[in-house]
Amino acid sequence: MRYSLAARCWPTAARYCPVLLAAAIGTGAFTSRLSAQAATGTYIIRGGTVVPVVGAKIPNGSVVIAGGKIQSVGANVQAPQGATVIDATGLFVYPGMIDSGTELGLTEIGSVPGSTDTREIGDFNPQDVALSAVNAHSELIPVTRVNGVTTVITSAAGALMSGSAALIDLWGWTTDQMAITPRVAQVMSYPSSGAGGRGGGFGARPQGDASETASRQVRAMRDFFADARAYADVKAKLATGGSAPNAPRVNQAMESLVPAIRGEMPIIFDVNTIDQIRGVLALADSFKLKVILRGPRDAWRLADTLAARGIPVIVGPTTQVPGTDDPYDAIYAQPGALVKAGVKIAFQTSGASGVRDLPYNAALATGYGLDMDEAMKALTINPAQIFGVADRYGSLEPGKVANVIVTTGNPLDVRSNVKYLFIRGEQVPLTDRHTKLYEQFRARPRP
Amino acid sequence: MTMLLAATSAFAQAGSAQQQQQLDLTAVSLPIPPAGKLVAITNATIMTASNGTIEKGTIVIRDGKIAAVGTDVEVPAGAKIIDGTGKYVTPGIIDAHSHSAAEAINEGTLSITSMVRIEDVLRQDGISLYRQLAGGTTTLNILHGSANTIGGQNAVVKLRYGLPVDSLKFEGAPPGIKFALGENVRQTNRNLQPGQEGRFPRTRMGVEDLLRDAFTRAQEYRRDWQQYDAKKKAAKTAAERAALIPPARDLELDALVEVLEGKRLVHCHSYRADEIRMMLRVAKDFGFRVATFQHVLEGYKIADELAKAGSGASTFADEWAYKMEAWDAIPYNASLMAERGVVVTINSDSDERARRLYQEAAKAMHYGGTSEQEALKMITLNAAKQLGIDKRVGSIEVGKDADLAIFTAHPFAPNARVDMTLIDGRVFFDRATSPTLEQLIEQMKQRKPHVASEDQ
Repeated sequence: MRYSLAARCWPTAARYCPVLLAAAIGTGAFTSRLSAQAATGTYIIRGGTVVPVVGAKIPNGSVVIAGGKIQSVGANVQAPQGATVIDATGLFVYPGMIDSGTELGLTEIGSVPGSTDTREIGDFNPQDVALSAVNAHSELIPVTRVNGVTTVITSAAGALMSGSAALIDLWGWTTDQMAITPRVAQVMSYPSSGAGGRGGGFGARPQGDASETASRQVRAMRDFFADARAYADVKAKLATGGSAPNAPRVNQAMESLVPAIRGEMPIIFDVNTIDQIRGVLALADSFKLKVILRGPRDAWRLADTLAARGIPVIVGPTTQVPGTDDPYDAIYAQPGALVKAGVKIAFQTSGASGVRDLPYNAALATGYGLDMDEAMKALTINPAQIFGVADRYGSLEPGKVANVIVTTGNPLDVRSNVKYLFIRGEQVPLTDRHTKLYEQFRARPRP
Repeated sequence: MTMLLAATSAFAQAGSAQQQQQLDLTAVSLPIPPAGKLVAITNATIMTASNGTIEKGTIVIRDGKIAAVGTDVEVPAGAKIIDGTGKYVTPGIIDAHSHSAAEAINEGTLSITSMVRIEDVLRQDGISLYRQLAGGTTTLNILHGSANTIGGQNAVVKLRYGLPVDSLKFEGAPPGIKFALGENVRQTNRNLQPGQEGRFPRTRMGVEDLLRDAFTRAQEYRRDWQQYDAKKKAAKTAAERAALIPPARDLELDALVEVLEGKRLVHCHSYRADEIRMMLRVAKDFGFRVATFQHVLEGYKIADELAKAGSGASTFADEWAYKMEAWDAIPYNASLMAERGVVVTINSDSDERARRLYQEAAKAMHYGGTSEQEALKMITLNAAKQLGIDKRVGSIEVGKDADLAIFTAHPFAPNARVDMTLIDGRVFFDRATSPTLEQLIEQMKQRKPHVASEDQ
């Protein structure tokens, strides 16, 4: 039983199978951050309202989890033999939520430089791999997941080309185990002319040579893409048996851009203003890039164009003040306006310590025109589609990875709480640094 | 406004005690604008913050004050009616820690700047105040920054947006002052230039020394004045009185004497339990109460001590890990302190968070199970108590100022939105007459040719 299920491990976690994990536990490597159970547990969550996100709500429904996957979802589901029963009467069952822009694992304490790996020196570092610097044992990771956020994009940001982002689950002994797609997208900032404020979605302006104007940065960026285009063409020629007498030496930066320049890997562009968005669209046209906009304030101004071109927008954080000349509700109302125009959206919180507030970020938009169901999609199936993993993530459907949360109510409602949490089919304890301190000091004897 | 500027510049050059005493800025305040005369909010869910929630209730406002609240309230003839059907009404939200509406925040060149005053640099602050109103916020405690141990004097204001700047002032609010402890005042997060020594103090030990030294000087200064006043009173002739030389007026120590006498509320920026306990010891030794600890992220570790000292706590809902001293911050802080009897508020310290304090308050329910009313109090009545203005604002009760927020849904619901904000019964924010993104998009669509070219 165990072995047959192990064979169904997803590729990136191939090295992580129950046998090895059992061995690791045997050596005493177990910490409270991970439970001792391997990912082969069988569970039935029953009696709750199941919200699969894709498809209709199922009152009094059940979700069966086995071998790390969702085995079945429905109103009349048989409990597999030996399944652990989770009574969800009065509770709600949702897929785990996905944050489409964080620095999780790359920073611990914001003002302590020794604990942050979010910004490399230089403007062009597409070869940098965020996953290599992710601390799987960051205290911020359990703090995030106990609020129902099970999956995140994490990356450096702020440079013109910051390197590749990782799509990770917030569970695992190592980053290899956590990774869903180790290099899921390139992260770039489109240069800002300064008008309209910040350059990137992370509040940082590109920190290039101060004398370099935005237009020079744009030209440098175009040159870089042109080089990557030429590099990829030569590479393709060589691969098909062609000869290139002056074939370039292997160049890590160029290598890393090949998938993006071939349109196989998306590029997340941190942008803000309408000028930056137009710039990205022009770049995408010139080099046939697959782009994702992240953090724009002005996307609503081009909503119809973005919808027609099928360019997704990662909105947020919604916890910003609008541009000086924008209506007071511009930040809160933009997500709804984009959806209304037919743009696919997802949400980001953009930091690390505040990623747990992801559902509340989305909630702010629901008072201002974003439909509640659309908001939930923007936290689950939409990012799964945007990052190419919708076959395995983003909804409660048979065969998908069992990232499941059981809550007391709508996860977007601050008053709701997560009661059970499953990542990759394993029941993850709802404890973290904060619950420990809470328990410790709640028990302090009164004088 | 002109008078205020004149007074400010004169203040800067103030040479003598007499001159200084004439510069009470309240004297130049413009009259408060006419309040809402007769208004009734009908058929609403009224969350009073003091006496539970009233379903299908009515609030009658007369001359800017709440004249009646309840289900059995008659709407007076001639009242302007606000239909509250399906709406939720809460007290206007009070932000216990703000830096809005001020031209300057930190006079950080010295470690003691108790002589500087936020009220001297108040401004209308453009659109930001309006956007906070749009989040139901009506009162702000505008604090000096945390660059130094003893900072400047605060200003409590109502968000009377659009009126002259002098109308912002919350008339009758007790004066306060900002103190600060920890990393900011030590300036340890700053890079010193080579050869630069930095400003004293550089450690938490030095912070305590500075406080004790300042209050010792304040005690001596007060004694000098008391002796002078006694001699003046005892003087038998005018000539004898004229021969007496008063002590030199010290604006820095004047403010600290007010603290010693309980006439000026101390709002103390703090993080760690050790520094909070140090401040409590200093305050006890010098015989004053710290009105509030601000941020107070480790307050949960010493909640009993805070409660015993009668100090309030004004904290973030769930901010943490942004600096070393915020490493033990937990989102259960508000709930844990409240459980042990501390008067707790959740503040913004930000023009952005001040737009959604209602969502922040709900986090006290999420973390630690604070009740709905207690959570609401953390952004209304408790803040009023901490600022000494609870007889005027903070709950929906007869006789209080009609400062109210009207929500489209339960204020803690995910889709909560403020539709109207009233101060003194006057509508300062009304979504129906406010430019919105939806309207702007609609307008752009109607200018189709232009938009089309924009959009290509």
